Amino acid sequence: MTSLLRLQGVTGGYGDADILQDVTLHVDDKEIVVIVGPNGAGKSTAMKAVFGMLNVRAGSIVFDGDTITKWATDRIVQRGISYVPQVDNIFREMSIHENLEMGAFLKKGDLSAAYDRVYSLFPDLKERRKTAAGTLSGGQRQMVAMGRALMLNPKLLLLDEPTAGLSPRYMEQIFQICRDVRDTDVAILLVEQHAKQALAFADRGYVLAAGQNRHEGSGADLLADREVAEMFLGG
Amino acid sequence: MELIGLANYALFMGIFIGIYALLALGLNIQWGFAGLFNAGIAGFFAVGAYASAIVTGPAAEGRLGGFDMPFFVGWLMAMVAAALIAWPIGKICLRFRSDYLAIASIGVAEIIRLVVKSEPALTNGARGITSLPRPFGDLPYVQSQMAYLAIVAIVLLGAYSLVERQFNAPWGRMMRAIRDNELAARAMGKNIERRRLEAFIFGSALMGLGGALFAHFNRSITPEAIDPMVATFLVWIMLILGGSGNNRGAILGAAMVWIIWSMSEIATDQLPAEYAVKAKYIRLFLIGLMLQLVLRFRPEGLLPEPQRGKAVADSNRE
Amino acid sequence: MDMLELLNFYIIPGLVLGSIYALGAVGITLAFAILRYAHLAHGDLATLGAFIALAIVQASGMPPLAALPFAMIATAVVAVGIDKGFYEHLREKPKIITVMASLGIALMVRAVVQVVWGVDAESYVRGIVRPETYWGLRIKDREIWTVVFMIVLVAALQIFLARSKWGKAMRAMSDNPSLALLSGIDNRKVVVLTWIIAGGLCAAAGVFLGINTELKSMMGWQMLLPMFAAAILGGVGRVEGAVLGGLIVGVAEELSVLVLPSEYKAAMAFAILLFMLLVRPTGLLRGKVL
Repeated sequence: MTSLLRLQGVTGGYGDADILQDVTLHVDDKEIVVIVGPNGAGKSTAMKAVFGMLNVRAGSIVFDGDTITKWATDRIVQRGISYVPQVDNIFREMSIHENLEMGAFLKKGDLSAAYDRVYSLFPDLKERRKTAAGTLSGGQRQMVAMGRALMLNPKLLLLDEPTAGLSPRYMEQIFQICRDVRDTDVAILLVEQHAKQALAFADRGYVLAAGQNRHEGSGADLLADREVAEMFLGG
Repeated sequence: MELIGLANYALFMGIFIGIYALLALGLNIQWGFAGLFNAGIAGFFAVGAYASAIVTGPAAEGRLGGFDMPFFVGWLMAMVAAALIAWPIGKICLRFRSDYLAIASIGVAEIIRLVVKSEPALTNGARGITSLPRPFGDLPYVQSQMAYLAIVAIVLLGAYSLVERQFNAPWGRMMRAIRDNELAARAMGKNIERRRLEAFIFGSALMGLGGALFAHFNRSITPEAIDPMVATFLVWIMLILGGSGNNRGAILGAAMVWIIWSMSEIATDQLPAEYAVKAKYIRLFLIGLMLQLVLRFRPEGLLPEPQRGKAVADSNRE
Repeated sequence: MDMLELLNFYIIPGLVLGSIYALGAVGITLAFAILRYAHLAHGDLATLGAFIALAIVQASGMPPLAALPFAMIATAVVAVGIDKGFYEHLREKPKIITVMASLGIALMVRAVVQVVWGVDAESYVRGIVRPETYWGLRIKDREIWTVVFMIVLVAALQIFLARSKWGKAMRAMSDNPSLALLSGIDNRKVVVLTWIIAGGLCAAAGVFLGINTELKSMMGWQMLLPMFAAAILGGVGRVEGAVLGGLIVGVAEELSVLVLPSEYKAAMAFAILLFMLLVRPTGLLRGKVL
């Protein structure tokens, strides 16, 4: 089976400096894949490369049979990848419902199926659909952000540190939501700071350090790997 | 006869270029090096002109004056007065993005214009302050003009070398670091507001000095002596065309724009009266268009800012 | 001074002037929040709108209010044209460069008005209008029209922003530009839309200033500071804030005559601007601080 997303030898960065060096990774259908690594390892950068926000100098990015390496962001969105940035990922002054509506901006026609899908994933949001998103708690904001990204019915969701700054309780909740999303046939690629918890929950993981991928494997295997543990899991 | 007339005109133009170059240099400190948008140049110019006029001018009934100070005291006071106006404005506005300073400085210029017009006790209203002392003003006309040109040139040279030295000093490096990457500079613990305030005050003081030089050259200052919008805008286009961030560029720009501006005036004055009035506005249109063209096709100006080991590209200047 | 006098001589003229400022301030606040720069040519664009209406009035003999829609459309087209010609290519540069360009545009637009219409004061209709008296309040028809039109235009804008897809896109762009782009919102269309609205409202401000006073080539430039003060007082990005701010600045200017020499009326806007930046830069309704 071919992968849903495949990065092959991707090298690139912002401006002239290469932050990513020869990164190769893939995500299969209905899979949760996590990228972990120390600060400044290029985790978020790898994600931005997929989303056309990086100057990719070498290598290729293939999504669902299309080479999307040089595509513009809006075309990638249309093709079926949604991205949730780490910060500033909601429209604070707009209601929850309007946030979702903006997520479906490119979609023509009836949106009720898309709303139903998101609201059934996040019942909390449905009750408060008229509330301004900026007044919500951190965990709820993350739900709005993910809900916005799911409105176009993507095949792949990119999440940049969705649990940053959240309490352990919310972290667990977000991971649970990821599983629920995955169960609606959406693959997820996420970057995580909380490596231990993330590897425990993901199907597979990649360890990125200094812009290169160093290890890959199932979450459990990586957790068991001594080298990985020494690198940044705190021994 | 023709030749003498031409030489006289050249002297006259040289003095004006020197005064405008001083203004452009002041703006360069603010915009070129600190990224501060001052749209009230004419206001600081007027403050300097009137401050020096009050300190050095003759006594008059019902008006502040008659201190009979020598001209250099007046010029010093011009700088102090402009700096004192700049200080509170900078204090309030420099915490924000430069857009706010742009708006506030338009306001400052407007208020100064109102004060000049409606406070005869300070400025003698519409008639202005006259009979100001002019250094070497007792010499015959041509010699006097030459002497004044020399004074302007000396002042300009002094300001230029002072500013140039500051730019290459740690102060200037810090200014550019702040301008090019405010976040990084803040992270390094730089006191950004203070540095900006220094640049704003320093630049405004030079504009005030320019105003004083202008007033003493004319031996008078009146509200109609300069058109605020035109003067402000001319200085801007001088700096942008010459090359913001480059002191020589500022002076070169002042010379070029002033020559173009006054030559075009001579040309349009030849027209019949009904067209001559319109021509003035067409010239204004063209000078505005010139700014747009420079921004589009040569945003770095004729003499770009020298690379003094800049770490971050200009594109981060926001 | 009794209450009626206060209302007749200060509050009513202040609200009328404030409505005119509000029309301009709404455009300024939208441009500031969505395009993210202070647009210094806003006042002169209002002047242009007022003179375009004058041309229509003189050519067709229609009343100025009937000429207003045409002037609004024409000014909106000019505003979009200015953006395409002079601002669009600066989009990737620091926003302050566009502020500078807009100062140049202010000069150019004014120069066009001065060349085409001259520098003498003009008016839409000759003659003196006597105010009607309503329960002791002396109000001129044109003053009622000014306030009513302002309310109608702003209400229509608010409905557009709250209900329509593109209105929401404008709010999204103001709220979080990078997320708006990630959501596939076409930035260029939002910019054009913003200029159509800001340009149209600008023209309305100019025309109503012309209807209530007279037309001069400097009329718009002199409104620039009060309009900015209104936008910042209300909170940048807040349409209802710009209206509130406009009305407060207008009334404050009229009332200032009670304590200050009338020459310093224009200083009130400046004082309000500095005061707000000092104590509450987010404005009354918690807008943005850029």
